[in-house]
Amino acid sequence: MTRVLRALLGLLAPLLALVAAFVITSLVLISAGDPVGEVWSEILQVPETRNVANIVNQACVLYLSGLAVAVAFRMNLFNIGVDGQYRIAAFVGAVVAGEAWLPGYLNTALAIVCAMAVGALWAGIAGVLRATRGVSEVISTIMLNFISTSVVAYLLREAAVREEGSNTIGTKEIPEGSRIGPIPLAAADSGPTAEIYGFVVLAVLAGVAYWFVMSRTRFGFDLRATGQSTTAAVASGINVRRMTIITMMLSGAVAGLVGLPILFGEAYSYGSTFQSGLGFAGIAIALLGRNNPVGIALAALLFAFLEEQSNPLQILVGVSPEIVAITQGVIVLTVVISYEVVRRFLTRREQSRVAKAERPADPAGPADPAPTQDQEARA
Amino acid sequence: MTETSSTAPGDPSTPLAVRLRGIGKRFPGVIANDDVNIDVRRGTIHAVVGENGAGKSTLMKILYGVQPPDSGTIEIGGSQVKLSSPADAIKAGVGMVFQHFMLADNLTVLENVVLGAEKQHGIGRKARAEVRRISDAYGLGVDPDALVEDLGVGARQRVEILKVLFRGARTIILDEPTAVLVPQEVDELFGNLRELKKEGLAVLFISHKLDEVLSVADEITVIRRGTTVRTVVPADVTSRQLAELMVGSELPSPGISEKATSTRVQLAVTGLTLHDAAGRALLDDVTFEIRRGEILGIAGVEGNGQAELVEAVMGMRPGATGSIVLTDQDLAPMSTLRRREAGIGYIPEDRHRHGLLLDSPLWENRVLGHQSRPPSASGRLIKRGAARADTQRIIDAYDVRTPGTDVPARALSGGNQQKLIVGREMSGDPILLIAAHPTRGVDVGAQAAIWNHIREARADGLSVLLISADLDELIGLSDRIEVVLRGRLVGEFDPSDVTPEQLGSAMTGAGSAA
Ligand SMILES: Nc1ncnc2c1ncn2[C@@H]1O[C@H](COP(=O)(O)OP(=O)(O)OP(=O)(O)O)[C@@H](O)[C@H]1O
Ligand SMILES: [Mg+2]
Repeated sequence: MTRVLRALLGLLAPLLALVAAFVITSLVLISAGDPVGEVWSEILQVPETRNVANIVNQACVLYLSGLAVAVAFRMNLFNIGVDGQYRIAAFVGAVVAGEAWLPGYLNTALAIVCAMAVGALWAGIAGVLRATRGVSEVISTIMLNFISTSVVAYLLREAAVREEGSNTIGTKEIPEGSRIGPIPLAAADSGPTAEIYGFVVLAVLAGVAYWFVMSRTRFGFDLRATGQSTTAAVASGINVRRMTIITMMLSGAVAGLVGLPILFGEAYSYGSTFQSGLGFAGIAIALLGRNNPVGIALAALLFAFLEEQSNPLQILVGVSPEIVAITQGVIVLTVVISYEVVRRFLTRREQSRVAKAERPADPAGPADPAPTQDQEARA
Repeated sequence: MTETSSTAPGDPSTPLAVRLRGIGKRFPGVIANDDVNIDVRRGTIHAVVGENGAGKSTLMKILYGVQPPDSGTIEIGGSQVKLSSPADAIKAGVGMVFQHFMLADNLTVLENVVLGAEKQHGIGRKARAEVRRISDAYGLGVDPDALVEDLGVGARQRVEILKVLFRGARTIILDEPTAVLVPQEVDELFGNLRELKKEGLAVLFISHKLDEVLSVADEITVIRRGTTVRTVVPADVTSRQLAELMVGSELPSPGISEKATSTRVQLAVTGLTLHDAAGRALLDDVTFEIRRGEILGIAGVEGNGQAELVEAVMGMRPGATGSIVLTDQDLAPMSTLRRREAGIGYIPEDRHRHGLLLDSPLWENRVLGHQSRPPSASGRLIKRGAARADTQRIIDAYDVRTPGTDVPARALSGGNQQKLIVGREMSGDPILLIAAHPTRGVDVGAQAAIWNHIREARADGLSVLLISADLDELIGLSDRIEVVLRGRLVGEFDPSDVTPEQLGSAMTGAGSAA
C-alpha cells in the first residue's frame, strides 16, 4: 500500500523536473522570440512508427552509456571517459568483425568480447592510476578521451579502406552473416514498418545483469559499500584498490558496448563519421535515472525522444534543434532538486502518520533500497 | 572531587539561560521527543541523562538549530526564539560541541577557531589575543599556534569548547564529552566546566556515566522514551536511582560467569613494530599473548598506539613488522577479509568511519564484514532474507531500539548503532574479538548487557583484546591488563588488585610499572 504510493511519489520527482524544464525552455524560447507553441506541439506530438524506431534505437545506445557511467557512480567514481572508451572499443570491434576470422555469429561474439575488453583496458588505465597513484579518475579519464580520439584517428588511417565513391574512410565492412538482424516494429496505423536494432535485446540483458550484480551479489555489495565509505569498506575486509580497478574496468567494459548497436545494426563499419559524444549523454542519463536500471532506461528514452522530435524543428518552425539540449540540461539540474523536495515531503508525511498512530513501532524507513544520494555528495 | 557550588541550583531567582517547553520531534516510525520541558539556569551545569535512543541528542540538536522541532517553544535568555540553523543558535548565544570533533587536522588551533567566524575578531592579531584571553579566562590552556594534529583528544575537545566561546556562546552544549576521555582528562574537563559556570555560563551536557554526572552537575534531567521524566539535584539521588529513573524500572543485577581461561594460546603477537612516515615509532616491539577464554585489557591514554595495534592485528596497516599468530596460523600474509574469516571480530573505535554504512539499511550493515560468510552470503550471492532475519536476531538479543531492519543506520541513536555493531561482531562465533571501546556511548543497562554477552562468549573460549578509555570497564572485564605508552607495553597489572589511580599514573608514565 505505502509501497505503491512511494513508487508513485518516486515518479513525482522526475515529473516535477520535467515541468520545470518545460517552463524554463519556454522562457528561453520566448525571450529569443521563437514560436513557443509551435515548438512544443512539434516536439510533443505522437511520434510516427519510423520515429519510434529511431527513438528506441537511440535510447538503446544511450542506455548502455548510462549504465556504464552508473557502474562507476555506484562506487563514487566519476567515469567521464565513457566517450573515449566506447570509440576505441567500437573501432577495435569493427576491425575484428571486419576481418571475420570466425564465421557468422561467432565472429560477432568475438568482436563484442574484444570491444568490451578494449573498453575495460582503456578505463582500467584510469583505475590503476587512481588505485596506485591516487590520480583522480576525473582528470585521467578526460585525458584518456583525448588520447583515444587521436589513437583512433591514427589507427583508422592505418586500417581503413576507402569507401567507393566517397572520401570518408572506414574499417572493412562486417560480413552479412555477422550483422545483428533488426527486429521489425509493427506499425499500428498500417504505415510503413520500421525496424529496431536487434542489439536492444542485449541492452535489456545488460540492464538485468546490472541490477542483479549490484543488488544481489557480493561483488555488488562490496562495490556499493566502498562507494559509501572507503574506511568502513577497508575495515570490513574489502580490498579497495582492487575494487577501484575492477569497477573502472567493468564500467569500461559496458562502455565498450555503447557503439556496437550502431556498428552491427546500421553502420557495419567504423568510419570517421561514427556517432560521437554518446559518453557525455550517459553521465546526464545516469544522474537522471538515479543509477537505477529502470530509471536509466526511462531517462534514455526521454533523451532519445527529445532528440528525435526536435530534428525537424529547423525546417518546420525555424528553430534550432539545439533547444532540446537546454531542456535536457535543465532536466538533469532540476531532477536533483526535486528528488530532495519529494524526499522531504515523504518524511513529513511519515511524521504526521506516526503522529496519528502515536506509537513507535512501524517498519517504515525513509530510505528505499534503490535510490542513493552519493552523486550529489560527490558533485 | 565534590565541590559545593556557589549558586544554589534550585534557586528560582537565578535567571534562566534556556527554557524549553513542550518540545516534540518525530522521525519516521519514531517519536524522538515528546513534551520535553527543561529549565537551564545561568551559572549551572545541567546534565541530561537517559537510555540509548531516549532522545537526548535530538533535543540538543533542536536547541542548536540543527533540526527544527515539530512542536514546542524555545526561550533563550528570557525571549522566545526560532532557530532554523546553527547560525541562529550561535547568534542567540548557544554553542554545541559534537561528539565527533569537527577540526581540520592540518590547521593550527587559531585557524580552526577563526574558521567561519572571521567577522568576530578578524583573523590576525586581534583574533589571537582573543583566543589567548578566552583560554586564560577559563583555564583551557590552549596554544593558538599548535597544530591540531599534534593534539590529544582532551586538548582537541578544549579547542572545540574554545571555538564555541570565541563565537560568543553563553550556553554550551556538550554531547557525551567524556566518552572519549580517560579519567584524568575527565577531571580536567570538569575543571574547565566549573570555570565556565563560575563566569555565569550555562553548560548542558549528556553523559551515560552516572557517577560523573552526580559529581559535576548542579541539576540532572532524566529523559525516558522522549519525555522528560524528572529533574533532580545530585544530592537527592544515587546513581542507581538515576538509572532506575532512566529505565523506568529496577535494574537487573549483572550476571556473573566464571572464568574459563585455558592454557592454550589463541593470539600471539611478537615484536610488532610500526613506524610513521617520519620514522617515529608508533608501535615499538609489542609482544603479548592472549589465551583461549582470556580477556586482555589495554590501558593507555588515547593516541599511544592503541589504534595502530588494533589496525595492525586486523591487517589494515601495511608496513607493520613482527609476527601475529592466531591459533597456529600466521596472519602476516592474510588480508583483512581472510583474518575476519579466520575468526576475528572487530569492534572499531570510530563507529561512523569504520563500523557502519550510515545510509544503508541495518540489514546491509549486518552484512558488512561478513560478506563472505553465512548467514548473510552463500557463495558469491548476498542472502537478503537471511541477512534481514539475522539482523532481527541481533536487534532482539542486543536490545537495539529501531523501527525495523530497513531503516538506515543513520537513523539510529549513537548507542543503538554501537549495540548493532557489537551484535554483528559477536556473530558467527569469533575466536578472537578485538574490541575498541565496545560500550562507548551506550547506556548503563546496555553496557551491562554487552559485558554479559562478552563474558558468556569468553566462557565458551572467546579471547578478547579489549581497548577502553573507561578504566572501570577495563578493570571489571579484563583478566589481565597491559599498559601502553608511546607505542610500548610498559607494564602488566592484575585487575583484581589495581586501582584506577594506579592504572592512571602508569598510563601517563608517572608511576613505575609493576
Ligand atoms: N535522522 C533521524 N532519522 C530517523 N530517526 C532518527 C533520526 N535521528 C534520531 N532518530 C531516532 O530518534 C530517537 C532518539 O535519538 P537520539 O539520537 O536523540 O537518542 P539519544 O538519546 O541521543 O541516544 P544515545 O544515548 O544512544 O545517543 C532514536 O529512536 C533514533 O532512532
Ligand atoms: Mg546521542
